[in-house]
Amino acid sequence: MSALQQYGILFALTLGSIGFVLSLYALARAIGRNRAEPGKDVPATAGSLSRDPVWVRYHARFGGYALLFLAFDMEMAFMYPWSVVYRQEGLVALLDMGVFLAILFLGLLYGWSQGALRRQ
Amino acid sequence: MSTLILVLFLLLGTYFVAVIEEWSVTGRLRPAGPVRAALRLLGTESVLARKPDRLFFEVAPVLLLVAAILSLAIIPLAPGLIVTDLATGALFFNAALAYVLVALIMGGWGPDGAYAMIGGWRFLGQLIGYAMLVVMPITAVAMRSESLSTVVIVQSQEQLWNILYQPLGFVLFALAGMAMAFVPPFDLPTGAGDLAGGVEAEYTGVRRLVFRLGRMVLILSVASAMTVFYLGGWLGPVLPGWAWSAIKILVVTALMLAAGRALPRVREASFLAWCWKLGIPLALVNIFLVGVLVLVVPL
Repeated sequence: MSALQQYGILFALTLGSIGFVLSLYALARAIGRNRAEPGKDVPATAGSLSRDPVWVRYHARFGGYALLFLAFDMEMAFMYPWSVVYRQEGLVALLDMGVFLAILFLGLLYGWSQGALRRQ
Repeated sequence: MSTLILVLFLLLGTYFVAVIEEWSVTGRLRPAGPVRAALRLLGTESVLARKPDRLFFEVAPVLLLVAAILSLAIIPLAPGLIVTDLATGALFFNAALAYVLVALIMGGWGPDGAYAMIGGWRFLGQLIGYAMLVVMPITAVAMRSESLSTVVIVQSQEQLWNILYQPLGFVLFALAGMAMAFVPPFDLPTGAGDLAGGVEAEYTGVRRLVFRLGRMVLILSVASAMTVFYLGGWLGPVLPGWAWSAIKILVVTALMLAAGRALPRVREASFLAWCWKLGIPLALVNIFLVGVLVLVVPL
């Protein structure tokens, strides 16, 4: 099977799943409609109406982690192809990636020493 | 024929995961539980929150279900019994399940409710912890099999399962996988006790049914991935391949959910700290150890 056909199957699977969900929605709608009642559509907030919208700025307290995550995530883009040819390349591949990972790991240690691995 | 078997696997697998999940919450095994719950949710009103972001609210459950089903497409149940044997199967598994985060953030943002919102953002923090621990052990698996195709990965474990070849990687992947499927003790986005359902809180009726279904398929998918990457997939004596796959997946699911039953929920801050201060150094050590093993013992 060619790669294009495989992705065709995956696309069909996506459409099929969405179709399944839509038919569930149609079934639920056939069973009954919603009754409009006051207060029913208020989001749960400890038993009272929420006065303000909650779409406000949220303080992400993991900024340091997030920066390190970006560095490591980029590294993974190189590691997948590397891991496939690893056995062919042998010791050279181990040393090459070893140096690369050592530098990244030093980065992690440096970030740790500077307090990046802490909830701010 | 094989399509029929795969659909059957999806349905039965989801059903069993739902039964085990109910056991992990209530402590009772009720075979009719999932059917009853599904019918009840189907008959319940599906209320739309007062001022929703309609697009995000509607898309989130569908996206969760689609992502989970797509990630199951690369799981081989037996030789030849697979939806698509992608050459980049292991990578595709990650790519599909990256949308779990998107779905939960959308589901949290959509209804404009405080609990849902907090649940969604919490899962973003959780992703920063677990994501590297999912991909790094998979790299070590691919180093041994010299391929990202899941079929080849299973065949590479003919002589020795990866759980014995790289036990460190298995432990990391199992924990990270549990965090990815947000099962207890990593159920931060839905936190039953402290967030009143979190992301799930505003979903009722048929929308909630789709959301729960997506979650069950997600748990099934993570358990299948553990089986394929570390427990030798369909390999095993006497019984046919598909039976071994089914047994292993069910056992892994049961162990995963049973562990959550016994453990207290982990806080986001300490989860991140554990992942980055211990998990990632260990994952790097795992890659190095497997690298040496692959060169020294060509098994």
